[in-house]
Amino acid sequence: MTGTFVRLKLRLIAGSLRGDLVRQLGFGFSVFAAVVCALLGFLLFSLVSLTPDEMALRIGATVFTVAVLGWVVVPLLAFGLDETLDPSRLALFPLTTRQLALGMFAASATGAWPIASLVALFGALVGLSRGIGGVLLGLVAVPLVFALCLVASRLVTTALSGALRSRRGRDMLAVAVVFVVLLTQLPNLLVNRGLPSASMEMFTSAADTLRWTPPGLAAHAIADGGLAGLLDLLILAAVVVLLGWLWIIALRAALVRPDSSNQGGSVRRSRRKGLLPDGKLGAVIAKELKYARREPRGRVAWFTAVAVSGVMLFSFTGQGWGGFGLAIGPAMIAAIMIGVQSANTFGIDGRSLWMNAVAFGTDRDLRTDFAGRQLANFLISGPLLAVVATAGSVLAGNALWAVPATLLAWGMLGVAMGTGSLMSVLSPYTYPERMNAFSGAAPGQGGQAFVAGLGAMAGAGLLVLPVLIPTVFFAQWVSGIAVVYGAAMAWGGRRIASRIGFRRMPELLEAVSRPT
Amino acid sequence: MEEAVRTRGLVKRFGQQVAVAGVDLIVPKGSFAGLVGPNGAGKTTTLSMVTGLLRPDYGTIAIDGFDVWADPLNVKSRIGVLPEGLRLFERLSGRELLLYNGQLRGIPRAQVQQRAEELLRVMDLTEAQDKLVVDYSTGMRKKIGLAAALLHNPEVLFLDEPFEGVDPVSANTLVEVLQRYTGSGSTVIFSSHVMDLVERLCDWVSVMSRGFIVAQGPVAEVRQGRTLNEAFLDLVGARGHGDGEGLSWLGSR
Repeated sequence: MTGTFVRLKLRLIAGSLRGDLVRQLGFGFSVFAAVVCALLGFLLFSLVSLTPDEMALRIGATVFTVAVLGWVVVPLLAFGLDETLDPSRLALFPLTTRQLALGMFAASATGAWPIASLVALFGALVGLSRGIGGVLLGLVAVPLVFALCLVASRLVTTALSGALRSRRGRDMLAVAVVFVVLLTQLPNLLVNRGLPSASMEMFTSAADTLRWTPPGLAAHAIADGGLAGLLDLLILAAVVVLLGWLWIIALRAALVRPDSSNQGGSVRRSRRKGLLPDGKLGAVIAKELKYARREPRGRVAWFTAVAVSGVMLFSFTGQGWGGFGLAIGPAMIAAIMIGVQSANTFGIDGRSLWMNAVAFGTDRDLRTDFAGRQLANFLISGPLLAVVATAGSVLAGNALWAVPATLLAWGMLGVAMGTGSLMSVLSPYTYPERMNAFSGAAPGQGGQAFVAGLGAMAGAGLLVLPVLIPTVFFAQWVSGIAVVYGAAMAWGGRRIASRIGFRRMPELLEAVSRPT
Repeated sequence: MEEAVRTRGLVKRFGQQVAVAGVDLIVPKGSFAGLVGPNGAGKTTTLSMVTGLLRPDYGTIAIDGFDVWADPLNVKSRIGVLPEGLRLFERLSGRELLLYNGQLRGIPRAQVQQRAEELLRVMDLTEAQDKLVVDYSTGMRKKIGLAAALLHNPEVLFLDEPFEGVDPVSANTLVEVLQRYTGSGSTVIFSSHVMDLVERLCDWVSVMSRGFIVAQGPVAEVRQGRTLNEAFLDLVGARGHGDGEGLSWLGSR
């Protein structure tokens, strides 16, 4: 039975790649990245052996803990990187919960990234062990930590799966995501605020506490290599079994819980009737603004943008940035992030994109569509960036910098929206129809999503340099040109994108309406 | 005979599988035409290609004499589409969906509002007009989808399984609207499994099987004295698997 699950997962991966070159390339890239991460992780972890014993243990305990936390948090943030094994899809098969749990456990260990993290964790064998006993215990300890990662990850996603499917749960998740993003920045912020020696002290005390957590026990077992280490492993194994048992209970509950996502009230009629222009452009802007408000993914994106802007402000001040750099830094990063969010602009439309496709008779129509999307984006992000730029300027001690900083950030946004429009037609992919804990992008399209995001970001980062460098190093009035430059880039981006996109409309439709 | 739709040698392959293997679809202007065929016959693929949503591998398509792929501007203003699966803009209310569609096609707002109001009333959706489409039932979705497809008064209307999963009351509304529409000289092409419905509504039928059109013409001509259902079963050559060999284990002993 377990083998069937593993084969199912492999077949789902293979099936999603069939006959689609771009996706195969994306997948190849993803595998390549996983291999690099595995080797690099292994190497770095091995190098820990060069540090003193005490320190090696601390680093080991921290790395193991971070690995487990990462496995818990990342799938939640990405709404489940493991897209294939939603228990509700398997509910009708005559499987015992034990078979289901074992099968899903094996399936979640299958794939490039799980194996990459296993390989990287095995670096502890070299990095931490101080003798043959340590190596022998490590051969057990590392798989146990890996199992802990899988079980903890599965437990959390399964326990939350019911909540994540209801509409209210999705709203809560929107806030939770922002919260988690803030949380991951917390150590960073603290370290930035303190002096180097103080942060070293903090790491030492934190690591000494982590040493007693289950993943910390594993690190200690490898470092110890004796009877105490054996005891550590027994405790760790017990914890894994306990979490597994809790997971089975959660799974049993998730399988019989009804889907409660369909109750809805009326919406208010628009009050902006007079403000938006009549015609295609106005229609697109109105629709995009509604989607930013009503579509959970839209809400998440905007919440995240606000939260990340706030974090940027704090961490820039903390890292001792000052002067003009502090005034523009956070706003620029927020601008590029918001712009890159538009790198799969048709993804939110997904399967309903055909309604646009049957209405668009020329590439001009598609260009209007792009323009509406960009304008709607700017209606929200423009003021937001102005606030961030002003806050940065005030923190930097010169409120007047707010003007060039805002203009520069708007320019950056324009450039990023231009490259985002282009990536939207070059590397489109499907967002899952309903966000739940188990499906991220359509199966196998993760690589494509990565290419779209990275392409838009790298392109924008390069294209902004002609105005960024003069503004920072020569004269701030250049920021006035930056706005015009950004607008021109956005215009150029949507012009090229609409030409390509209109010709590729059937392929575009196909790419954003994959079954998820 | 003036043709609303004419395809020549339409072919579409998905990998190894040939979905449409050379279809010459003819639909005369002003007809209420049915496209029938078993599952997997290629009906949806054909309709997707004809409406410009899927690129054919070979073949040409003309709507009112305009080539779908060479002259999209003239074609798209003339057609209304209700595809399979009813994927609408879920986060708009029914009313907003109609307004968006109308404005996207360049109709002035005041006119869209008036048309939308009338369509919502006829479709019996006035009460639900401010609810999000995501909360609509299947029947309501088909009706709002049809309303969106009719909003710009197209000359040819393509409907993929418009009656599937629709309750009898909504189905009756749909039929009434469509009959009135074809009565004025416009053309409707819809795909369906329900032979009785096709026999009752249509004056023209095209029968598809395994990627080909196996019969096409006025309903009476295709029927040749039989019921349409019998004619259909003869044409697709799919009689009598249900009572023959195999399945001896099925049922109570």
